[in-house]
Amino acid sequence: MECRDIRESISACVDGEASPGEAASVREHLASCERCRVLERQMRAVGAGVRQVRGSVPDRFREEVFARLESEGALPKRKKVVPAAWRWVAVPLAAAAGLGLFLLTSREVVRGPAPPGPAVARVGTSAPHVPSPQGNGSALSSEDREMLAMLDLLEDPVAFDTNDDAVGVDLLAPGDTADSPDPPRGGRSGA
Amino acid sequence: MLLFREGSREAFEELFSRHHRAVVRFAWRMTGDPSAAEEAAQEIFLRIARAAPTYLPTAKFSTWMYTIARRTTLNYLRDTKEDGEKVPILQEGEGEDGVTPVQLPGPDDRNPEQVVWEAQLTERFRIALAELPEGHRAAFVLNRGDGLSYEEVAQVLGVTVQAVKTRIFRAREMLLSRLSKDLSA
Repeated sequence: MECRDIRESISACVDGEASPGEAASVREHLASCERCRVLERQMRAVGAGVRQVRGSVPDRFREEVFARLESEGALPKRKKVVPAAWRWVAVPLAAAAGLGLFLLTSREVVRGPAPPGPAVARVGTSAPHVPSPQGNGSALSSEDREMLAMLDLLEDPVAFDTNDDAVGVDLLAPGDTADSPDPPRGGRSGA
Repeated sequence: MLLFREGSREAFEELFSRHHRAVVRFAWRMTGDPSAAEEAAQEIFLRIARAAPTYLPTAKFSTWMYTIARRTTLNYLRDTKEDGEKVPILQEGEGEDGVTPVQLPGPDDRNPEQVVWEAQLTERFRIALAELPEGHRAAFVLNRGDGLSYEEVAQVLGVTVQAVKTRIFRAREMLLSRLSKDLSA
């Protein structure tokens, strides 16, 4: 085969694109042609030369491309995506946070300042109010009187003042405000 | 690409990260000029984004991308030519029979594969590459530079595999005629 007839096949062989029959013809020719063997090596060298022309990515290339895309509206807006792993945690966390907030605000309502208007009286929880038995004492038995005497003792302010275990609570009474100073400690309102 | 077509910005960012170096390299090899390559590469990504709605997953994405890249650089070179610069651009098939046969160098003791591609030689190669007809240059760059098969190059250029084979051979002959002294020295 003439050299000029096989050069194109040599090029295809260098690129790995020759058919099996074509490759066999090239091998046979190269075995007997020094000139084409040199050509084959030069063809390989030229192919490698393309890969030497690399250039480089310019500075700010990415920024400039994306800026142009955004100015043209060719790029979708960035979505705020919650990572998949967080999705399983986000719902319980949100529920817990909501519950905690509710509890905190509820306690603040209980502890918070009383609304204006009602007065605050203070009594001991250990001394419940008992209606006065005065006026119908003739109908009481001796046992009843004894019990009432004990109750009078319990209602004695002095007795309350000495009762350190008594826990005070605020009771609302009309005509007073939350800013009013606390009434005298011990005894029922008006006592 | 399909995700980007459906509106995912992150998909385009991933696509850009994967391919921007190859696009810049291709534009550099086709234009032979850094500023022209940057401008052409930016335009390539703009066209990819614009053409996303028309993308069909029947072809490899890289083939589709290089088709856009080649057309973009071709348009860019044509615009440059209209501005007065000499850029060899031949129509499809033109010049394939008109190339002057290369006077091949004689046998030489030095193995061309062992040629060290120093900066000076690379620069001469870049100039010689830029002087090739665009169709030949595109075929040669896509095959040797970007690793596309003859079949894939044929799809990108819209020609037959045999035409690709011939163009690459002609490109080699023309490059050798310009660089034979460098490769044989």
